[in-house]
Amino acid sequence: MTSLRIQVNGQSVDTDVAPTTLLIDLLRGPLGLTGTHQGCDTAQCGACTVLLDGQAVKSCSLLALQAQGRAVTTVEGLARGDTLHPLQEAFIACHGLQCGFCTPGMMMSACGLLNQVPRPSDAQIADALEGNLCRCTGYVNIVAAVQQAAQAMAATGEKA
Amino acid sequence: MSSPVEAARYGSGKAVRRIEDPALVRGAGQFTDDLKRSAQTHLVFLRSPHAHAVIKGVDTSAALALPGVLAVYSGADLVAAGVKPMGNAVPFPRPDGKPGASATRYPIAVDRVRFVGEAVAAVIAESREAAMNGAEAVMVDFEDLPAVTDALQAIRPGAPVLCEQAPDNIAAEMKHGDAAAVDAAFQRAAHVVSLDLVNQRLAPASMEPRVALAEPDAASGRLTVTLSSQMPTAVRDGIAGALPGLSKDQVRVRVGDVGGGFGMKTGLYPEDIVVAHAARALGRPVKWCAQRLEEFSASSHGRDLVTKAELALDANGKVLALRTRSYANVGGYAMTVGVVIQLLIGPWVSTSIYDIPAISLQLTAVMTNTTPTGAYRGAGRPEAIYVIERLMDAAAREMKLDGAELRRRNMIRPAQMPYKNPMGQTYDVGQFEKMLDQGLALADWQGFEARRAASKANGKLRGRGIATFLEWTGGNALSEVVTVNVLPEGIVELTVATMPMGQGINTSLAQLAVDVFGVPLEQIRVVHGDTDRANGFGSAGSRSLFTGGAAVQVASERTLEQAKNLAGEALEAASRDIEYRAGRFTIAGTDRGIGLFELAAKQPAARITADGDATAGAPSWPNACHVCEVEVDPETGAVEIAAYASVNDIGRVVSPTIVRGQIEGGAVQGIGQALCEAVAYDGDSGQLLTASFMDYALPHADGFRGFKTVFDTSVPCTTNLLGVKGVGELGTIGATPAVVNAVIDALAAAGLGRDAEKVQMPLTAPTVWRALQRDFDRPDWV
Repeated sequence: MTSLRIQVNGQSVDTDVAPTTLLIDLLRGPLGLTGTHQGCDTAQCGACTVLLDGQAVKSCSLLALQAQGRAVTTVEGLARGDTLHPLQEAFIACHGLQCGFCTPGMMMSACGLLNQVPRPSDAQIADALEGNLCRCTGYVNIVAAVQQAAQAMAATGEKA
Repeated sequence: MSSPVEAARYGSGKAVRRIEDPALVRGAGQFTDDLKRSAQTHLVFLRSPHAHAVIKGVDTSAALALPGVLAVYSGADLVAAGVKPMGNAVPFPRPDGKPGASATRYPIAVDRVRFVGEAVAAVIAESREAAMNGAEAVMVDFEDLPAVTDALQAIRPGAPVLCEQAPDNIAAEMKHGDAAAVDAAFQRAAHVVSLDLVNQRLAPASMEPRVALAEPDAASGRLTVTLSSQMPTAVRDGIAGALPGLSKDQVRVRVGDVGGGFGMKTGLYPEDIVVAHAARALGRPVKWCAQRLEEFSASSHGRDLVTKAELALDANGKVLALRTRSYANVGGYAMTVGVVIQLLIGPWVSTSIYDIPAISLQLTAVMTNTTPTGAYRGAGRPEAIYVIERLMDAAAREMKLDGAELRRRNMIRPAQMPYKNPMGQTYDVGQFEKMLDQGLALADWQGFEARRAASKANGKLRGRGIATFLEWTGGNALSEVVTVNVLPEGIVELTVATMPMGQGINTSLAQLAVDVFGVPLEQIRVVHGDTDRANGFGSAGSRSLFTGGAAVQVASERTLEQAKNLAGEALEAASRDIEYRAGRFTIAGTDRGIGLFELAAKQPAARITADGDATAGAPSWPNACHVCEVEVDPETGAVEIAAYASVNDIGRVVSPTIVRGQIEGGAVQGIGQALCEAVAYDGDSGQLLTASFMDYALPHADGFRGFKTVFDTSVPCTTNLLGVKGVGELGTIGATPAVVNAVIDALAAAGLGRDAEKVQMPLTAPTVWRALQRDFDRPDWV
């Protein structure tokens, strides 16, 4: 076991992990953050996407120790108490989710995009979501939701 | 009875925020794998790497000796423990008149494996890692057998045989219609068209893999199984039937959130039995979570039907007869549902919305060394509609007619309703020509040539395709029971046996309750997925709203009527003088009253409760006109969807946002079949080649521009209380032929003519490029 210090959703976490522990297993297991989902074994579906220092990464493909000293944001870290994040609001408003299994990963990928490109084109959004699979929605409403969130955040000056 | 205020905001017909969404967007959903029990153990399956092999022995000793491993089961171990095989009765006879045949499917293979991915052992351990290590240490002595993965090859003499009772690998065969009348019609026909059509095998691929968690309760002897399923009651009954000394009432099946089902999560799976058995045997909770590899290899596949299809027409383009010869590849075991879907359900809609007087359909279910097939969104109807819609375009091309015009000449007229089709299915209502006209207008059918010219100027080949069609919904399970409880905390609780799996059914049911109770949507709670509280068929076949929704309405009205009587007693007034509005009863003409929830609190049981049931008289027949335009890049063969317009007759709409999402999301699944998806096996080894999302191409976010989607709600369904029609599968069924017809139109116009009809799905860039060079893969007919 190796000691690990990371920040998760703004909280400092000190724990011991095996060198082989994947970040997703740390999040879903000991940390109980089950909003990050695992949908495949080959890093293709994107349901496990989280932010690492603001960048979208697939938590199934990172060792927990690779997050040493860094900040992880999961879907549980998006809302501020009762107030949903603009992306969460927009996904509901645009019917950007059906079964909701891919949704946390979709929103975290979108969040990573908006961190870098606050006002993306539809093509840029689709490109950023290339690594996230959805079987229900057909993606059109997801792209619309990200666009709506980008506009809402630009209007209030909020950062992703 | 309802409150105009709340019903106007949240009731049926209103676009509301789904009640499922707040938890899901916060990552606070309750998917089965999110559950973790104390003393929970982990089950991992060892699966066959061979498509076809004899199991000569399974040595579990090395695995059992590993740290953390608690138990290892082979198929023989389960048989010895009294665990029964899967019930997979084949309901139709073989061509020789003998009963339908399938090898017996055990929860874990006993002496032979018949497809790659079939379970050969289960290892239960303290951790998932230990269970995986254990699975690696199980030694299985396989004797490899020759394999066959293609239906047309499997029926050839000398092909590897999967089951003794079927030396020709034929599980069952059905003939429908009047072959003599059809032959006569073909004799006198002015035009005959014939197509070879391959409806390729698909993986349903819900984003959430299957998961099961079984927990024994030593004190009561009961077993609770939580899993991701569309049919909790069927799973309960199946587990009770498979495990010795366990009755239905000793099994409780619970389902939380389901991360997509699409028909794949209907009914009992072998893994469910094994997990349940292990939990009982070990006396501890056991969890199994499928890896994606297991989902691709061991969850039901869909489609896989090859058809020679022929249409006979008179000189005016009136269809005289339809004749098809189909072979369905149902996989290594002929499962009841997989056979019924291809041999009966598909044929029910084979003539679709057209007035075709004579049919002759022959369908053969063939076993091969592939994953067993089952339901996948549309289940038989996509295959049948693909056949007739491809034939319509072929006939139009043959006769140099507009495809829309040929369809129009053959449509069933409203005056013919109710209309009994040649399969004996009765359509209650439908205005098919009106749908066509609206679809053509929405898609600007007339303006196509200008767009084709514009595409040509950009070096692209533009094509347009149309599908006018209907489908059958309901699963012939037309009854549903709902319990309503009015609770003092201000909640109207609906307990239902239908299942949300992304389609938002709980929201639609809640909206119907708002209609009756006039309280805000937030005050309706829907309880689902608990066989201790509600049982029924579950959610499949686009049945949930027109059966379950009707039951919600009946139960809600019954509850309110009962509450009105109780209010009369509480207010010491005759119930006929009691008025109800927005959660409050008053005595007419006075300001004396009592709140609905206050009234519930005063009852001895602290609730007001009533059951309600509803039975639809017959299936519903949603129908639509879908029009697609594509652009093909002749340099690469790449296909882009340039426009997609659809007009959908779905009767009354309860939740417009959800309905649109079902049609458009469903259409993308249909587009996936048309353009990119295919399960592939190596023909020699029987190895599964598409076992990850790297190899099985799902649609991605970059493939689609906007949809134009319109509902026609002017023709309510007459077979159910609500007037609604099923909508879950409509988009998927229409999109595949609309897209393929569009690509073929582009290729035909590029000089291929009717040769373009030889191209087979999926229309990937290499396939389309090869088609442009007149290079086609053709079915290998016997």
